[in-house]
Amino acid sequence: MIERSGLATILDHPSGAAGLAVVLLFIAIAIFAPFIAPYGPFEVVYNADQSVVRLAPPDGRTWFGTTNQGMDVFSQMVWGARVALLVGLLSAIGSVVLGTIIGLVSGYFGGWIDEILMRATDIAFGIPFLPFAMVVIAIARPSLVLVILLVVFFLWRTTARVVRAQVLSLKARPFVWAARAAGAGPARIIVHQILPNVLPLAFLYMAIGVQTGVMLEAALSFLGFGDPNVQSWGIMLNAAFRAGAMRSAWWWVLPPGLALSFFVIAVFMITRAYEERLNPQLRMI
Amino acid sequence: MALLEIEDLRIAYSTKGGDAFAVDGISFAIQEGEYLGLVGESGCGKSTIAKAIIGILPPQGRIVSGSIRYRGRELAGLPISELRRIRWRDIALIPQSAMNGLDPVYTIEKQMDEAIAAHADMKAQARHARIAELFEMVGLNPARLNDYPHQFSGGMRQRAMIAMAMVLSPQLVLADEPTTGLDVIVQDQILERLAVIHEQTRNAMLLITHDMALVSENCGRIAVMYAGRIMEIGGPDVFAAPFHPYTMGLVNAFPDIASRGSELIAIPGTPPSLVDPPSGCRFRARCPFATTRCAEETPPLLEVAPSHFAACHYVDKAQAFRQETRAPATWRSAL
Amino acid sequence: MTGFARYFVRRLALMVFVVWAILTIIFVLFQLLPGDPTAIFIDANFSVEMIERQRELWGLNDPIGVQYLRYLKNMALFDFGDSFFQNEPVAAILFERTINTALMVVPALIISVVLGTIIGAVAGWRRGSRFEKVTVTTALLLHSAPSFFVGIIALMVFSYELGWLPAGGMVSLGGPEGFWETISSADYWQHLLLPCLVLVSREITGPILLLRGSMLDVKGSDFIDILRAKGLPERSIVAHAARNALLPLVTYIAVMTGLLFQGQVLLEIIFAWPGLGREMVTALGDLDYPVAQAALYLMALVILAMNFIADLTYGVIDPRVTYD
Repeated sequence: MIERSGLATILDHPSGAAGLAVVLLFIAIAIFAPFIAPYGPFEVVYNADQSVVRLAPPDGRTWFGTTNQGMDVFSQMVWGARVALLVGLLSAIGSVVLGTIIGLVSGYFGGWIDEILMRATDIAFGIPFLPFAMVVIAIARPSLVLVILLVVFFLWRTTARVVRAQVLSLKARPFVWAARAAGAGPARIIVHQILPNVLPLAFLYMAIGVQTGVMLEAALSFLGFGDPNVQSWGIMLNAAFRAGAMRSAWWWVLPPGLALSFFVIAVFMITRAYEERLNPQLRMI
Repeated sequence: MALLEIEDLRIAYSTKGGDAFAVDGISFAIQEGEYLGLVGESGCGKSTIAKAIIGILPPQGRIVSGSIRYRGRELAGLPISELRRIRWRDIALIPQSAMNGLDPVYTIEKQMDEAIAAHADMKAQARHARIAELFEMVGLNPARLNDYPHQFSGGMRQRAMIAMAMVLSPQLVLADEPTTGLDVIVQDQILERLAVIHEQTRNAMLLITHDMALVSENCGRIAVMYAGRIMEIGGPDVFAAPFHPYTMGLVNAFPDIASRGSELIAIPGTPPSLVDPPSGCRFRARCPFATTRCAEETPPLLEVAPSHFAACHYVDKAQAFRQETRAPATWRSAL
Repeated sequence: MTGFARYFVRRLALMVFVVWAILTIIFVLFQLLPGDPTAIFIDANFSVEMIERQRELWGLNDPIGVQYLRYLKNMALFDFGDSFFQNEPVAAILFERTINTALMVVPALIISVVLGTIIGAVAGWRRGSRFEKVTVTTALLLHSAPSFFVGIIALMVFSYELGWLPAGGMVSLGGPEGFWETISSADYWQHLLLPCLVLVSREITGPILLLRGSMLDVKGSDFIDILRAKGLPERSIVAHAARNALLPLVTYIAVMTGLLFQGQVLLEIIFAWPGLGREMVTALGDLDYPVAQAALYLMALVILAMNFIADLTYGVIDPRVTYD
């Protein structure tokens, strides 16, 4: 029910609907990447004479040109959508599940459990994400799984705090004491009385998580801490930046950057439309 | 010339369902030094009148027609720069909730001071002396002038608000539920202060309230409002010998001003919609004496006694109505 | 003890606790780093005895507990040891880098807060106006766009394509040196312009959206009506409203400052700005652990100190806050 009405509000909202359309387009690109991309993510394009097509500007064969290693920029961008969606979804789900559980437990039980969990949240809020993630990756070797884990680690804290605050206010509501008076145990109350009221917030933070996750992966990859075995937009930007393509090969820089921007802004517009439903104060008129 | 004259005033709020006429054709006047009590159930448009007079209707509200004249000068549509000069110096407001009427991050003195500074050419020291004087007049300790609103109790804030309203000795004070939400002892103290101030300044007041006792104790003239219209207006006789069934119902609902020994009776039902008001008399749906004529013809305000008007087709039967309305059964029959 | 003093002590204790926890995390992380630091930088020609002497010197042969306590003490005293690669104390290097970061972040912060506050306040005050719609839409777009890509585009357009502005660095080669000489040189300001504007384009959205929101809240309050009824001029009323609406901003500025000191890593890389973040990336690449470790610690410290200041100032500026 929540998802349905949430979807309806997003569609009612012009920019929310536009954002959704763009995200659906990216999902389609990611799913059908093998059919859309003419080349593989690391495939080198050769001329008829077997020479590598290096830094070729866009033309009929390589629509967005090639990189300094002769790889097709368009194909890399298409493959990058897969990584973006994978990172976005997994890190959003992971962080929201973790944050919601911590928030629920902390808010519902209070006492020393709350104390421990909230101090842990305080610690997490004191950690500078990018530098911290760079150090961890330097220790453990870059990989996509690690990047996702780091993003989860970065994102759970906000969800946990927000959910905890919500639980505290829900706990004081009559239907919760009614359930308790009727003999319902903590697990039952959390699942049946509190969780349904926390879910809209959790969904909101999930959408925010997708956006932040994709952005952070791009940022880390751009800094050179991405997984070298996948082709993501951030890794493309890193390669282009290191090769000095900003000076010479605009076609290599723009596709990954624009894809990233469009995706992130589109997710943000969905988030915003959904947030306006939860908090009508944000509305413009 | 009356101090304030309101003539056929209509005020609409735009709502999703269309315009709601919170004030729908109201006329009355306030003479210099006079206290006019405006009573009615909440939501009948009382506060809207005060806001319209001083020009602070919310963005969705507007004066559709009619006039508001202060000393013969039209206030509706007056340029903001002219209106600004009249505000507070001539007409001041004691708002419904002093809790929210004061800026939480400015001291009380600062808030009173800026009112004087905006209108009078006074030295800082003279302004301070004036503010301290007012503070004492309302029974507050001038040592606490530099407190912030949250450091005051509800009653103290209300007094500070009164002091602020009086700081420029305005000729007309609009008091919108000045004692609502305060406990009875504080209410009495505040009314006492208002009376003292009235003695000294001979100011006029529009006292807006749903508290009938407050009006009967303080006001020389009384207007009864229902669903955007005045039902009855006149001297103290409005409560002592009402001509409109609605006033009778209100009087009955307040045992301390109704004749002793009567049972407390509330008027059953709720006020009509202001977006789509009923034809004829607006009170007819709740009136035990309503006839088909009440639905067909809007009763005009008829002079039932010298300067006492009532908007009812059956003012000649008032004597009998007064008897009948004392019986609870009469009211139950209306529904 | 007064309520505020009690709150202060409690809040300070919390900060000290979090600093300790983060220091511990950093210690563990760097223990896990691959390889022995001596193996990385010591010349292959060094004899076993020489390496052993070096390990002894660095205390790497002490029990881990002793190393941990010494580390805590050194960090608390800002004694970060020497860089493996640059023949200088880490503290001196990072002090200079921190100043450089501030040279980029502080101007951007000032512009963002001042302009953003004014724009946001006006947008909130004129609810429903065209100005509000344009501002909010633009702010939302800038807020959600990846600012490092904005930086790349800015660099491509204004430096490479149009050639109007220098393509990176804080000053030209052989340019001004030292703090005062730098900030009083036109060269620095030319280099600053682009990264600063890019930073502003994102950071300004916070104050805009925040001020607009709190202005809307304030605008609906009864006391605004009373101010109007008092016959005050419009600008006094806006001043009252802004003063109320500014309260959350003060907290926000402190938090934002903390985040900026770590969040500008990307822009420092793109614009080759010799700041703390760039130094850290370089140090990780060079396996210059003392530098990376201390840089991470400093960034965390700035965040925590700013959050601490945010919590304290809120109570000071809002007369309604009590600590009982």
